[in-house]
Amino acid sequence: MTVHDDPHPESDDQDQDQGLFSLDESVSSRAYVAEIWKRRDFALSLPIEELQSSHKDTLFGNIWHLGNPLLTAGVYYLVFGKLLQVSRGVDNFVVWLMIGVFTYQLTSGTIRGGASSVASRQGLMQSFRFPRAIVPISNMIGELLAFAFQLLVIVLCAFATGVGPSRRWFLLPVILLIHTAFNLGGSFIAARLNDGFRDIQQLIPFVLRLAMYASGVMFPLDRIIGRNDLVDWLVRLNPIASLINFYRWMILGTELNVATSALAVVESLLILWFGFRFFKVAEYRYGQP
Amino acid sequence: MTELSVRVTDLHIEFEVSGDRRAGLRQRLATQKGSGRRLIKAVNGVSFETRRGEAIGVIGSNGSGKSTLLSALAGLIKPTSGEILVSCEPKLLGVGAVLLNGATGIRNIRLGCLALGMSSEELDDRVAEIVEFTGLGEAIDRPLKTYSAGMRARLHFAISTAVQPEILLVDEALSVGDKEFRKKSRAKIESLLANAGTLFLVSHSTKQIERLCTRGLWLENGKLLADGPIADVIAQYGDDEYGADD
Repeated sequence: MTVHDDPHPESDDQDQDQGLFSLDESVSSRAYVAEIWKRRDFALSLPIEELQSSHKDTLFGNIWHLGNPLLTAGVYYLVFGKLLQVSRGVDNFVVWLMIGVFTYQLTSGTIRGGASSVASRQGLMQSFRFPRAIVPISNMIGELLAFAFQLLVIVLCAFATGVGPSRRWFLLPVILLIHTAFNLGGSFIAARLNDGFRDIQQLIPFVLRLAMYASGVMFPLDRIIGRNDLVDWLVRLNPIASLINFYRWMILGTELNVATSALAVVESLLILWFGFRFFKVAEYRYGQP
Repeated sequence: MTELSVRVTDLHIEFEVSGDRRAGLRQRLATQKGSGRRLIKAVNGVSFETRRGEAIGVIGSNGSGKSTLLSALAGLIKPTSGEILVSCEPKLLGVGAVLLNGATGIRNIRLGCLALGMSSEELDDRVAEIVEFTGLGEAIDRPLKTYSAGMRARLHFAISTAVQPEILLVDEALSVGDKEFRKKSRAKIESLLANAGTLFLVSHSTKQIERLCTRGLWLENGKLLADGPIADVIAQYGDDEYGADD
C-alpha cells in the first residue's frame, strides 16, 4: 500500500464538493453576532458558575457578594464621614463617593478582566469552538453581576441618608446600557492588545488609575478644571466622567451637563463599534498555542 | 457512494516556539533580529478524504501530530497552509479539554454542552440521560477537581457524544474508564456510525483502534505514512520501528 492510498477512488469530485465548507473562513459581523446570540446561555453560565464558586472556601459564602460592598461603604463612612469629616464641597459625600468608586470599578474591572480573560481562558478556547468575543462578554456579565450587589448597597445607603426614590431612577437601564457599551468596547480593545503583547496587562492598571483621577471618582472635577486647557478638554471628553456624573445626578440629584452626557453616549457607542471590529479581526488568534 | 464528510488538502500546521509560551514585547523585538525562536512543523503536508459511515483510527507515536490534526479538524487551530473542508462542524472533546475545576460534574456537563452549541432547552431535556451515561453516580455532584483521570474521561466522553455530532473526534478518551464504561462507549460509537456519521479516533492502543475503526491513518513527524484499511495500516505500523510500543 502506498502513502496516499485512497480506499474510495475519486471520479465525481465536483458533485461531492457541494456541502463541504471550511471552518476558518471569517464571517460577517452580523453572522458573528448571531453566533454569539446562539451561545448566550453559555456566555451567561460561565460567569454565574464562577460567581457561585468564588466565595466557596469562605464560611459565609455567597453573603460576601453583598458583604464586600457593605464593608467598603462602612469604611468610607468611618473615614470620610466620622474621622476626617470631609465633604469636599459635596452634599452626602459618602454616597457620592460610593457611586464614583463602584461605577468606576465596573469600568476598570471589566477592562482589566477583559484583557486577562483571553489569557486565562486559553484552555477553554483550545477545547471548544465558539465566537471568541464570548470570553470578554462573559467577563463583562460577571462584572455586571458583582455591580448589581454594589448598586443595591448604594441604594440602601442613599435611603439611610435620607435620599428618597425619584423618577430619575427609571433611567437606570439606559445608563447601564451606555456604560456597558463603553466597558465592553474598552474590554474588546484591551483583550486584543493583550493577546498580541502580554505586557499590556501590566500597563492597564496604571492607565486605569490615571483615568480614575480624570473621572472625578474621589473628588469633584472642578478641583482640576480651569488650570490647564489640555486637562480641561480631556476631562470634558472623558466619557467615564460623564457616566459617573449621570449616576450621581440620577441618585443624588447633582447637576447634569447635558452636552457632555450626550457626547458620552456617542463616544461609548463608537468605542463599542470600534472595539468589536478590532477584536473580531484577530478572532482566529485567540487561544492559539 | 456515500457523501464526503471531510476533505483535507495539503495541510500544514506550524507553531512558533519561543522559550516561553507566548511572545512578549521583548521576544517580538528579538524576532526581528531572527533569534530565539524555533518553528515546529506539527502537521506537514497531509491530504485525505473521508466519507460518512467511516471510522478512522489515527495512529502514530507521541508527538507525531495526531492531536494537532484533530484540533485542526475541529477548527480549534488554524492551518498554516492547506485546506480543511467539512460537511458539518466536527466536535472534539479530548481528555485534556478544560472545564471548570471548581464546579461540580453536573455543572460541567451543562457548561460543556452549552459550549458545544447545545441549546439550554435541549440540555434541560437531556441532562439526566447524560448524567446516567457517565455512570458517575453521586460523584456527579462533587467538584471536578476531586475526579480521577478515568472519571474525567467518562465525563468528557459523555459530553462530546451528547451533542450527536455528524463528525466526532475522539482523542484517547476511550482508553480510560472501566470495562463496563468501555462497553457503553463502544456501543455509543457504533450507534453514531450506524447513523452514517464519521468518527476519528486517536489512540496509542492499536487493539482498540482495530476493534472500532474501518480505516487507518498513520502519522509520523507530521507526515502521513499510510492510509488504508485498518488491518493493513496496523500491520505496517507494527512492522515499523516506530510501532514498537504496542
